[in-house]
Parts: sequence; structure tokens; C-alpha cells
Amino acid sequence: MNRQRPQILLFKLTLISALLSAISLPAMIQSAAPFWMLIFFTYWLIYAETKAVYSFALLLGLLLDLLHGNVFGQNALALIASTVFILNVKKSFYVSNLSTQQVYVFVASLIYLFITICVHWITQGFDFSYLIFLTPLTGAILWPIVYFLLAKLKH
Amino acid sequence: MRLLKPLLPALIAIILIVLDARFSYLDNLKRNSNTLLTPIYFLVDLPAQMMSWVSDKGSDTDQLISENEQLTNELFELKAKLQIYNNLVLENQKISRLIDASYTLPANAVKLARIKSISQSRLKRQLVINKGSNDNILTSQIVLGANGIVGQVIQSTPLYATVQLTTDPTQHIPVKNIRNGARGITKGLASNESGMKVEFMPSATDVKLGDIFVTSGIGGTYPSGYPVGEVIEVSTPHNEAFLLIRLKPLEDMNTLEFVLVVSEPL
Repeated sequence: MNRQRPQILLFKLTLISALLSAISLPAMIQSAAPFWMLIFFTYWLIYAETKAVYSFALLLGLLLDLLHGNVFGQNALALIASTVFILNVKKSFYVSNLSTQQVYVFVASLIYLFITICVHWITQGFDFSYLIFLTPLTGAILWPIVYFLLAKLKH
Repeated sequence: MRLLKPLLPALIAIILIVLDARFSYLDNLKRNSNTLLTPIYFLVDLPAQMMSWVSDKGSDTDQLISENEQLTNELFELKAKLQIYNNLVLENQKISRLIDASYTLPANAVKLARIKSISQSRLKRQLVINKGSNDNILTSQIVLGANGIVGQVIQSTPLYATVQLTTDPTQHIPVKNIRNGARGITKGLASNESGMKVEFMPSATDVKLGDIFVTSGIGGTYPSGYPVGEVIEVSTPHNEAFLLIRLKPLEDMNTLEFVLVVSEPL
């Protein structure tokens, strides 16, 4: 099977996740939508063997901050923290069944959400739509679909 | 050792957060970098643009004639209302001269812009419009809808501008009650999908349900006289010096298609 270079795969995943996260949705759905960049980056972390993953996490997070008008560094910090967790469970993730993988994605999304909300709380106060707490759940639910679609893209 | 690797990128991210949230050092960098993201905005908005194009091309003649008639009728109606408004302006000017008042009705140039179907942060209330610095859209200009104030331009790239809505928790607008002139400051409520509250109005202030608040012009950021919201809840919390007032924006942010950007005075 002809596999792509990790950087090319990451470029494609970044483009798709940036497009997905920039699509306008009704306010309620948007608040509960998954962290697309985290989900796609998780896939890349698991299936691509490469170094400097934290630098990539920093760059992608900053790209997302620019795209969404967030505090510069907010998504970057959240993505780095989630990357630490994913790399710790990488070996287990690779051989796990889909439902276990969903649990890992849920925890990674939870870490991402926690960091994002903490930064938002410190910089702008504790005021946001509570539907955002559904994000880890939607991320975990949609993981199998993303997994199968990205498996096609990888080869 | 494995935990040491993410420390440097995490530290960089934290430094950037502090620099961006507490100071304005990164504003230029963000504006220039955002210009590079224009192709992504263009790609995301492409399906909506194509739909609009197909819809325009697909309209049949009868529908266009009917729309044209409707718009002509609306134009006549607005022209009639404009005559009344012009009379009111003249009357206001006469009275202002008589009482030697410094207050004048606002007169600003406006630019029409279309809302783009591009999503912004889920933690903020923002939208993107299809005009930018190429059309002289500048940061801090005010954005209006057909019924009231929509928000303020917070970032402008050559082709697009980002507008922060009045319902964003970081937006504070000096307002006054149109009925009695009582002044306060609005603050957006992100936890409520499209709500605002009015702060710093003493508990003895006369505020009723249905009162309309307009911009007071204090501070100079927002020109005075533009409608902001309607009172939907008033209460006096126990042992509090200020009223708890909730406003519903007069402009429905979810159904907006076009907005007016208020630029330099006429």
C-alpha cells in the first residue's frame, strides 16, 4: 500500500479541518460541534511517524486562533495539552477497537475543552454557551465516521 | 523527559496568550496573518456564493417583476416617511438653535456589506462581512442592521472584516432609555443565545418592560441615537444597588443577510 508522507497527510488534514471548522452553522449546533482540528490531528498523531509533533500542534493551534478570532495561543495551548495525552496512549490507541478509541477521543476533547475554557475565563470572564460542554461527546460520537473517511484519504 | 518536550511550545503559547489578551503587541501580526487566510475564507464561502448565483440566475421573469413592484412600493413608502423625518430634522435644528443646544442628530456615510457564511469562535459572538480595508472598512467602525445596531468592526483585512456583535460579552455600549433618557451600559451575554443586560442603572430608575434603549454617544465610540434593544426583564435583586435589566437586541442576528457599516461623517 502506498502511504503518503506525514507532512502531506497533515497538510490535507489541516485544510479539511480548517474548512470544516469555518463552515457557518446555527449557533446551537456550532457550540456543540466537535473540535475538528483536534480530531484530525489525533488521527495524524496515531498513524503518522514523525518528530516535532508539538511544534506542529503549536502551529495548527495558532492557525485556528487566527481563523476563529480567538485569543492568540488559546487553541495552540489546548492542542499541545491534548497531544501530550494522545501520545501517552498512542500504542494502546493504535491497537484498540473503535469504542475504546472513542473514549480516548472523549478524554482528549475534554482536556482541550478544559484548557480553552480556562483561558477564556481568565481573559474574558466565565460567560459562554453551556452547549460547549457537549463538544467532547459529539467528538467521540463522530470519531468512527472521521476514522473511516480519513483511512480512505490516507492511502 | 517525555513531558519536557511539550514545555517549550506550551510556554510560547502561554506567552502569546498574555501578549494578546493583556497588550496589543500582536494586533499587526494577526491582521497580516489573517490576510493570508483569505483563500480559506473564500473556499468556505464558495458554496453559499454559488447557491446565491444559481438562485439569481434561476429567478424567472414573473418573480423578478413581482419583486420589482414590491420594492417600488416600499421605496414610495420610505420616501414618504423620509419627508416626515426631514421635517423632524429641520424642526430639531430650529429648536436646537433656539435653546442653544450642542446635541445634533447623527449623519454618517454608510457602506452596504453582505454577511459571509464563515463561522467564528464558539466562545465569541462575531461574524464576517464581505468588505474590508480595500473598501475603507476600518477597525472600530459601527455596523448597523435594518432595525438597529449590530456591532463593531474589530478586524479588517483587504477583502473581509470581522464584526463583533453587541451580544458578545466583551462589548460594552453606553445606552440611554429613549422614554426618559436614563443612562446605563450594555453588556452581551454569551450564555444566552442573543441577549444583553444593562449595567449600572440605580434601583430607583424608571424602567419598564418594552422600553427601547438607544446608543447615548457617551465615550464617542458609538454615535448617539441608534437603537440597541428592547427591555424584556426588569427586576431589583435583594440588597443590590442596581437594577437587573435584560435586553433583547432589536436586530435578529441569526437572520441577518446585509449590514451597513457606518464610516466617516457626511
